[in-house]
Amino acid sequence: MEPTAQSPGLPLIDALGPSGPYRTHRRQTIPGVTGAPVAELSLAPELYVNRTMKALREAAPPPAEERSAMLARAAGLFGSAVLGGMTLQEYESAVTRVSGVPLTAVRTATRVLSERVGQAWSSAHQARPRGAVADRHDPLVRSGQAVWARRGQVLAVHVPGNYPGTHGYWPEALALGYRAAVRPSRREPFTAQRLVLALHEAGFDGDQVALLPCGHEAADVLVRGADLAYGGDEIIRRYADDPGVLSLRPGRSKILLTADTDWREHLDMVVDSVGRNGGTGCVNTTAVLVEGDPAPVAAAIAERLAARPSLPPDDPKACLPVQQTDAARTLERHVLERARGTRAWLGGTGFVDELGDGSAVLRPTVHQVESPDAPQVGAEFPFPCVWVAPWSRTDHGVAPLRDTLVLTAVTQDEALIDALADEPTISNLYIGDTATHWHRPGLPHDGYLGEFLMRTATMVRL
Amino acid sequence: MRAEQSILDLPHDADPDPDELVRAAMRWHFSPDTGSPFWLARAASLDFDPLSDVKTYDDLTLFPNVAAELRDVPAADLVPRGYGDRPDIVGVFESGGTTGAPKRVVCPSDWLAKLVDWSNRNLDVHGFPRGADWLGITPSGPHLVGEIFRRSALTHGRYGFQVDLDPRWVKRLIKDGKGTQADAYAEHVIDQAAHILRTQPIGVLTVTPPLLARIAQREELVELVNEKVRAIRWGGTQMDTDTAELYRTEIFPDATLYGHYGSTMILGIAGQRHGTQPGEPCVFDTFSPYITFQVVDPVSGGPVAYGERGQVVMHHVSKALLLPNNLERDTAVRVPAPEGRIGDSAADIAPVERFEDEAVIEGVY
Repeated sequence: MEPTAQSPGLPLIDALGPSGPYRTHRRQTIPGVTGAPVAELSLAPELYVNRTMKALREAAPPPAEERSAMLARAAGLFGSAVLGGMTLQEYESAVTRVSGVPLTAVRTATRVLSERVGQAWSSAHQARPRGAVADRHDPLVRSGQAVWARRGQVLAVHVPGNYPGTHGYWPEALALGYRAAVRPSRREPFTAQRLVLALHEAGFDGDQVALLPCGHEAADVLVRGADLAYGGDEIIRRYADDPGVLSLRPGRSKILLTADTDWREHLDMVVDSVGRNGGTGCVNTTAVLVEGDPAPVAAAIAERLAARPSLPPDDPKACLPVQQTDAARTLERHVLERARGTRAWLGGTGFVDELGDGSAVLRPTVHQVESPDAPQVGAEFPFPCVWVAPWSRTDHGVAPLRDTLVLTAVTQDEALIDALADEPTISNLYIGDTATHWHRPGLPHDGYLGEFLMRTATMVRL
Repeated sequence: MRAEQSILDLPHDADPDPDELVRAAMRWHFSPDTGSPFWLARAASLDFDPLSDVKTYDDLTLFPNVAAELRDVPAADLVPRGYGDRPDIVGVFESGGTTGAPKRVVCPSDWLAKLVDWSNRNLDVHGFPRGADWLGITPSGPHLVGEIFRRSALTHGRYGFQVDLDPRWVKRLIKDGKGTQADAYAEHVIDQAAHILRTQPIGVLTVTPPLLARIAQREELVELVNEKVRAIRWGGTQMDTDTAELYRTEIFPDATLYGHYGSTMILGIAGQRHGTQPGEPCVFDTFSPYITFQVVDPVSGGPVAYGERGQVVMHHVSKALLLPNNLERDTAVRVPAPEGRIGDSAADIAPVERFEDEAVIEGVY
């Protein structure tokens, strides 16, 4: 975290505040997965963050219809324009170099992100209760009406840098008239920067949405200076019990294969759920629960995943994530420790494949555990790492499927489907042959963001 | 004896030879007639003879760091006997107690007068107005900074208005996880300062960086400061370059911003160097040869290269006090002292680094 001296030639990511770009003397070097520096990040002091939060609070949001048009414009700019001196391709390449997410996955993510931003207005309004109108100027208010209203004015955004797609949701807050203070991840600051630049270019001023790269102390100021906060980094975790903070939860996404189906027909979907986009997302499958003998399923998944090549992340054929070797080795030690006592089908003696340039591929791992209650079933890591467990309707039931972001249940059992649908800790339920990473704009991810940002109020104006 | 006393009694701008000063100080502090009971007793356990072995400034490194002993020594034992039976003492002052129980020193009035004369000349160089009314939002109580504020206000300015601040209470609240109470206390302090700012013609503000940041959060106070205050003297904790620049360019563009880096354990302060380029970290120059710094490698104890960061070691050598080799908690970048001064100057002060552990957090967020 030490400030670094200026290194000439590296792209410099400035803060973007109410009076434009703000460049600081205190900087942080953003290393690529090989360890070589890729960019420098300005670290804004607390005083600047505080003043920016104040400016955001004092600013009035643009009228609703303009916000919708500006978001659509920002989506187009994000997906095509030169922003911060970078073309889309240069930006995607930079994301790959610092995050180690395969280039193809980054390209998919940026396309989806752009699509989500373009539809932020309509997505946001999907969350509106059907009894509520969007605006107090609606004529229905004349006779008494529920109105959808903001819970606050300023949202702090702390989304992590594991995958660029995580930035797809918070622009809904802008659609709803919030001002947003975005702290870019210090691992991958490019997506936050590009998105804020696109929003500015599209007409949102620096007092509507600000980019605030900063250290830990100032990041606290950012959370405290906002009405609500959203994200999943270490700062947000510290405030997770605060009702004004919406914490992105670990996905722990799972697949359930019951005995009334032939798992072989769904193997493609299972392998895709585990490994798509490098396996770095919360919607990638963490555990597969099998009614019957899990060994053949584990063996088949392992066989498929083992065939994936170890390549640098910017190789067009790359499909596995890459990290700096030291970080990869730390993760490897941790996962091996966590896997103790399980039956390894893949990666049992290690999964780090060094590329010789300071970086290393995180190769897939497949472990069979003895029971769906095994603690490993909830252990989620940012690479294709799956735990395969036996499951029985009578012995275990719904219990081991709790606390899941996306559950794909391949089953014919309607009673079981009812029970799963009724389980409040399963955020999303896919029945049949749909991968856990499947998603469409307008559908909730972990509930609608609007459920957190908005409230309903009765209004009458006679 | 007369000659020795005279070098220890020179005015602040006399520029004594550092080695001669050290030899005179050794004779003063280690002669039975003039030394303090503390040093006279402590001399017996030293493995060298201060009178014959400490000939130059560099020989001060022979001394152990005795700062920790100042937690328990009776204050009266610290006063050199040479000050006589009724020494003219300003007060007993304590460190903030950040790293354990407070340490204690005794400050004779001749020393404080010399220090404030030196400091006032710095204020002139930085363009502080003479004869202004001062507002001090700094610790008072047992801390030397409060006394330095009062003396500065009275000798460089006209009246000194003070708001009390108990830094130990704030530290305790924060340590106990009572952040909201610490906030409320800080706002209470600012409320009191606001009343003084509204009603009195305050021309100089002395404040800590966290409290200055709170002032900057209140529009009314920013306007009052810009309307009345010509110079702001800050100290107590560090202020980073970016923050200082925001004050200078955007928030208080017409006020002089001048920093202090001090410690009760050196019975004084180091002052910000004048003429540093905007964007450069501020450099603190000491009241050499009485107060001197060394920026060292904490492991080897040797000096780091100029421009490198190290830990700050402080020395005080005067008639009032001998306290060499006090290793401070802070780190700084080592900078050459000004021409003709000894020791190091210190830039970009920061607390000792904290290390972040590398535990793997499960989950992909």
